[in-house]
Amino acid sequence: MRYFVGIDIGSTAIKISIADEDKNLVGHKISASGSMFYKYAQEALAELLRELGIDEKEVVYTVATGYGRKLFKEADENVSEITANAIGAQQAAKSYGNIKTIINIGGQDSKAISLDAEGNVVNFAMNDRCAAGTGKFLDVVAMNLEIGVDELSAYHFKSVGTPLSISSTCAVFAESEIIGLLGNNHSVEDIVSGVHYSIAKRIVKLVKRVGVKENVYFDGGPALNDGLVSAIENELGHKIFVPEYPQITTSYGAAVLACDAFLSESES
Amino acid sequence: MTKNKFTLRRAINNMNLVRFRFWFQIVAFVLIVYGGYVGLDLGDKLPTFACVYNGEGTGGKCYAGMLQHDLKHPIDMFMGYAGYAFLISLGMFMVWFWILNKGWCGFVCPLGTMQDWLTILREKTKIRYSEYSWANRGKIKSIKYILLILLLLLPVMIANSVFGLPKLPNGLSMPFCDICPGRMMIPAFTGHFNQFYIDFSSKTDLVMTTLGMIIVGLFLVGSFVKKRFFCYFCPMAALQHIFSKPALLKLYKDGAKCTKCGDCYRACDMDILEIADDVTSKNLVTEDCTLCLKCVAACPEEGCLEANFAGLSIFESTKEGFILRMAMDQHKENHAH
Amino acid sequence: MHTEHSIETSAERQNRHKAMEAISVLNALKEDFKSPIHSMGYFYDLFEKVYCRHEPLHEGKAKIGTMCIQIPSEIIYALDAVPIRLCNGFYTDDEIGSDLLPQKSCPLVKATVGWFASDNFSDKPDITFSPTTCDQKTKAGTIIESFGHTVIDVGFPRTKESEESRHYWRESVKSFAVKLSKFQGKKLTRSNLESAIKKVGYAQSLYHKLTEFRKNKAVPILGVDMFLVTNAFFFDKIDAWIGAVEKLVAELEQRVSEGVNVAGKASPRIVYTGSPPIFPNYKIPLIIEQSDAIIVADETCSSNRMFNDMVAVDEWNLYDMIDSVSDKYLKACTCPIFTQNDDRIRRIIQLVRSYSADGVIYQAFAGCQVYEMEQRSVLAAMEREGIPTLYIESDYSPSQHGQLTTRVEAFIESLKNRKRMKR
Repeated sequence: MRYFVGIDIGSTAIKISIADEDKNLVGHKISASGSMFYKYAQEALAELLRELGIDEKEVVYTVATGYGRKLFKEADENVSEITANAIGAQQAAKSYGNIKTIINIGGQDSKAISLDAEGNVVNFAMNDRCAAGTGKFLDVVAMNLEIGVDELSAYHFKSVGTPLSISSTCAVFAESEIIGLLGNNHSVEDIVSGVHYSIAKRIVKLVKRVGVKENVYFDGGPALNDGLVSAIENELGHKIFVPEYPQITTSYGAAVLACDAFLSESES
Repeated sequence: MTKNKFTLRRAINNMNLVRFRFWFQIVAFVLIVYGGYVGLDLGDKLPTFACVYNGEGTGGKCYAGMLQHDLKHPIDMFMGYAGYAFLISLGMFMVWFWILNKGWCGFVCPLGTMQDWLTILREKTKIRYSEYSWANRGKIKSIKYILLILLLLLPVMIANSVFGLPKLPNGLSMPFCDICPGRMMIPAFTGHFNQFYIDFSSKTDLVMTTLGMIIVGLFLVGSFVKKRFFCYFCPMAALQHIFSKPALLKLYKDGAKCTKCGDCYRACDMDILEIADDVTSKNLVTEDCTLCLKCVAACPEEGCLEANFAGLSIFESTKEGFILRMAMDQHKENHAH
Repeated sequence: MHTEHSIETSAERQNRHKAMEAISVLNALKEDFKSPIHSMGYFYDLFEKVYCRHEPLHEGKAKIGTMCIQIPSEIIYALDAVPIRLCNGFYTDDEIGSDLLPQKSCPLVKATVGWFASDNFSDKPDITFSPTTCDQKTKAGTIIESFGHTVIDVGFPRTKESEESRHYWRESVKSFAVKLSKFQGKKLTRSNLESAIKKVGYAQSLYHKLTEFRKNKAVPILGVDMFLVTNAFFFDKIDAWIGAVEKLVAELEQRVSEGVNVAGKASPRIVYTGSPPIFPNYKIPLIIEQSDAIIVADETCSSNRMFNDMVAVDEWNLYDMIDSVSDKYLKACTCPIFTQNDDRIRRIIQLVRSYSADGVIYQAFAGCQVYEMEQRSVLAAMEREGIPTLYIESDYSPSQHGQLTTRVEAFIESLKNRKRMKR
């Protein structure tokens, strides 16, 4: 059996996807990047292979992507996240439909990608300068509200009042705003809802820069947060598709690329 | 803000001026028309209409009559004692006048009072009052001065040959009294309707008494449709205006406080534009003003208009007074909104 | 864990956006200042009810939309309808309107047009009357009609000193009364108009009482709270508003006797004038009061001007009452759409004197031609009188906050310095 590995080395997390010759996802792993992400990446890959019972030699092609891709020398090739994300999205949403717009909210950045009918990237926009509107922001918020990041969604849907808008554009200042709101006895639910809408507004602005076309795909860790998904859908006025494992779309795309690359090489 | 503090000043500023004036006018009317019956005699130099033709009842006589009489002297007599008499009369008139300024018109004059009664009647019948256009109002202003000049000139021309013109017939001796509606209306209130007549005895008398009947007719109809119709043409007003500046009772305006809302103008029976639109002058007793003080009562700005007597503010516009007078001080649940 | 959710409709999204704008201002009013006023709770709740929960207030009654201050509410009340002033303060609606009007237009008009375009009202007007005041409001009428609403133009003169212009406005008002009468199928009678005039007059007298308190050294109520109270009059049930303000007056009397001051001892006293701050666009008044100043008086058509001039009737018959009502809305009006603006200048100076103000803040919307043009004469007059004035332009967008704060704070600090120098 031949397997293809896609490894997405992000600043927050390392995501590994393994695909087979039919480009199906066989297994995946998400682990923290930490400071020595190169070492952790290797360890994570080894562990994943062990879990899946795949021998190292069965891995015939590896593609690295993400922030730390160039440092993963074991890769046969490295590609930009944009490319990998685009391919991963189309593949993951094959049964849903043709993906033309991708929203990605990562740990420390957020992106919007626009694809043409053939699936090529025609435009993209990125916010990589500021933590506002990224996963980091949600982490900070959850910490200030003394709840888990995975609880955010539940709080969002329990909100009955008006979402409290966070006016600060910076995550650091937003933190003090939230503390102020808590101090004035506003409910956690309304604050969470407000935070989600604050992120959603920012993301929708970003996406509109590249153009919103059906179908819209949303990935990245924060996509697990249904509350955030609902907020983005409401701001966009549009249904968005969230895959089963939103964190790994990019690494999956890298794995699919690995498969394509290997097969085209072997044909030539 | 001292809420329920009673002060005399506050009570006066909050008063229902219209009602106060109504009763004041009745008292003044009674004194002038019936005062003679109880021996009241305020003299014959009153700065208000008080008719000599009223006989016993009259409580005084108007200066217009005295003036015509004083001026009907040959010039050489005038240079002598007649002149002194004239100056003394005039002086007396001025002293009377300076007490109330034009307020004689607004609070005392029986002709004014009659016109106000006709206005009340019209209001009850819900008939709309009529107004002059601004252009016309400007044009008619000069009529009272023309009448005043005639009032002064005709008696002189009866006793003297002026600029070589022949002397006027004696039938014109009290030219203004002939045409004054007071001559007919005031005695009517003591039951004497004999002044309503046309005198066919001479051409002069015929003309003058006919004019008089016409004018009294105009007076009645005019003041029914137009508030204080006659006052626009009144030579007494013209005469008073000449001496108005030093008078004791004044109408002062603090233009800085004025919002030009025009409430004063709406209330003014004489349709005096300046009261609303002039925001620089202090003294607003214009030639048509009767000092009825309706403007002060209608002004909603605190301390903008005031009736001032010898430097003391006796009645001024206040927000509270305005609200009370317009009966907007309580919440009435008549209509469910 | 997947939670089922549906996507908002565009109307719901608009409502949520407006609700979020509203709640953030209301929270600022409730939480950012000292010595909160208990009776203001009615108003905070009212705005939350209407702008956050979008609950209708006037079901079963005819709602008459008005586009400016000059449409006589007395006549509307007399004909058993509810006047709703439609001047809009929401950035959300401003953005919608931006696509429909030229880029440099007044945000207030854009917001109003945007609102009509989205046709998303909790209390939808059955008919709207639009006086021909400024260019933008004047032209907005037909644009709004194109969205399927009924808009009737009411001719308003651009001069007010002449006999013709006053006569013109009186005729306009009569014509308005006739049209509304027909629409309502009711007649204007002596009794119903007198009642309406007195009721509105009473409401105005309450405002006068409220504003008198602001002349004190220790001011018991914030300017932003006053703006909220007066804005409520745009759409609230008049009887409920009157009841709430009566309570507010009583509470303020109490506060005055206790010497409660919502500002600091050295807070500069400000007269606010210019384009009307309409909820939730209280950006600048909030910045002013958050920068340790206090707005003691204002000269704006969304607040003071609605209540300052009262109808004065000489003969309580229909002919005189209608003319009195017309005159009230024209003669003392200080809207910058008139050719002459001396009345406005005199009024601002008078307010500065009687409220012992330290400075004037003149705010014009970017795109408001008339207020921008008046800037010269007003500033010159203020300089002659020795009244420090700040002129700022703003619009509805939330992005200017930083620049505006800097300018306002600098001005207020200069006023504080002046005061200290004087001592």
